[in-house]
Amino acid sequence: MTAIDQATMRPRAVARGVWRRRIRHAGAEVLPPLALLLAVIALWELAIRLLKVSAFVVPAPSGIAVALVEKWPMLLDASRITAVEIFTGFVLSAVVGVAVALTIVRFERFGRALYPLVVLFQTVPKVALAPIFILWFGYDLAPKVVLIVVIAFFPVAIDMMHGLQSVEPGFIALMRSVGARRSEILLRVQIPYSLPHLMAGLKVAVTLSVIGAIVGEFAGASAGLGYVIQLASNQLDTGLVFAALLAVSILGLAFYYAIELAERLLVPWSSKYDPLHRS
Amino acid sequence: MLSIDPIRAVPTAKTSPAPAHITARSISVDFRHDGIVQRVLSGIDLDVARGSFVSLIGPSGCGKSTLLKVMAGLLTPSEGTVQVGGLAPGEAARRHMIGLVFQEATLLPWKTALENAAFLLTVGGRATPRDVALDRAMAMLRLVKLEAAANKLPSQLSGGMRQRVAIARALALDPEVLLMDEPFGALDAITREEMSRGLLEIWDRTGKTIVLVTHSIDEAVFLSREVHVMATGPARIIETLPVDLPDRRDEETFNLPAFGRAEAHLRHLLIQSHGGDGA
Repeated sequence: MTAIDQATMRPRAVARGVWRRRIRHAGAEVLPPLALLLAVIALWELAIRLLKVSAFVVPAPSGIAVALVEKWPMLLDASRITAVEIFTGFVLSAVVGVAVALTIVRFERFGRALYPLVVLFQTVPKVALAPIFILWFGYDLAPKVVLIVVIAFFPVAIDMMHGLQSVEPGFIALMRSVGARRSEILLRVQIPYSLPHLMAGLKVAVTLSVIGAIVGEFAGASAGLGYVIQLASNQLDTGLVFAALLAVSILGLAFYYAIELAERLLVPWSSKYDPLHRS
Repeated sequence: MLSIDPIRAVPTAKTSPAPAHITARSISVDFRHDGIVQRVLSGIDLDVARGSFVSLIGPSGCGKSTLLKVMAGLLTPSEGTVQVGGLAPGEAARRHMIGLVFQEATLLPWKTALENAAFLLTVGGRATPRDVALDRAMAMLRLVKLEAAANKLPSQLSGGMRQRVAIARALALDPEVLLMDEPFGALDAITREEMSRGLLEIWDRTGKTIVLVTHSIDEAVFLSREVHVMATGPARIIETLPVDLPDRRDEETFNLPAFGRAEAHLRHLLIQSHGGDGA
């Protein structure tokens, strides 16, 4: 006799098999990069010990771990401050990017004037603006957020714009022919169509937001991971520099995967939908 | 020159008493590219009787799709007038008197087959409540034999199924006229034949006036009661051929001598118009 699972009404062995397969599948995706990472760390440690490299130049992974543990409260505090900068800057970048895209697409004539200016602005090396923003907005959150926005709104605007314009012209003609209003076309067709594109733009924007926050802190700050990195390198505490770098990467990863999760929840159809094979 | 009788008037008892459902008088369409004016349609006269099934056939670039767009109100002719049910095409479309089907299904990827079929009913000045629209759409999905796939996303449907959703979407408006621009052009041969038979059944049951643009001679003869042959340079209708076949059409229809004659005649006309174009 086969035992039947009450929840799935499938034989238990089959239900167990499904989970086993899922876990094995996840394992197959996570294990190889993890193994490679561990191998690199081991090689790194070995190389530092064998070649007797000074900890001032390159710390061994064990040295970074020590710094991480010893300076944990300080790193946590700095991470919190930087995370707030990244989050605020990123959200504002998304808002500004979406607004620019909607403006360019909705108000065509004004858009034709605005678009080249947006592109022109993108060619300005924004990192060089950091000291000016410090001068204008002080040492706290504001200059970092402004710097992040000017760096990160661009991919959001461009991707969203392409998304809004990616609806088949035939479909828009069809809607117009039955008397659909422009607002209906925008809200019910163009904006949903643009969401997968928007998500791609947001993923680029969030990584740029991390860079923006760190650069902003380099230019002038009294707290945050960028500040810690600068301070520690001035004091030749290379272990702490790397520990802070690790914290920055973890922050970046967390933000990136948060967006990916949001993408799966918001546009579950986009993974199945391939614009290249649309028909 | 044409050696075959150009049958302009349609003398059959079936069509003469009914007033023309679609009338086009001296339609010309000019396209402007960089200041160069190109005449894509020249002096087209066309009458489509209520409840009839007519095809427009011709080589690519002969303006058959352009003519359909004019009848759909998607394009305003440079000269001449068109009326659908006594109204200007744009007004007729706004009153849901015209259903449109293109070569591409143009479905919204985040909406199910059912929601796609209902979609046009929910926009514009004549929008119906969502549940009414969904009811109508479901009835139309039943008509195109797709009720089992009502809750599937377009990405989960085959090309033929997607096109049937597009037909259901057009029929959901309960239009008087169905305008179809190579609706089966992107489908494989077997699916095309299946769809053709399905379309005849729909025509039988709904009594809509159907205008089909196609470049397939077989399809034109098999489906329609009247074929308008178009030629390029300048784009015009060179002949109107009534299809002298029994009303009931099935696989056997292809073997009838009359089918072969009509097909041969159309092929001859098309080759001639094509050759004349190159000379």
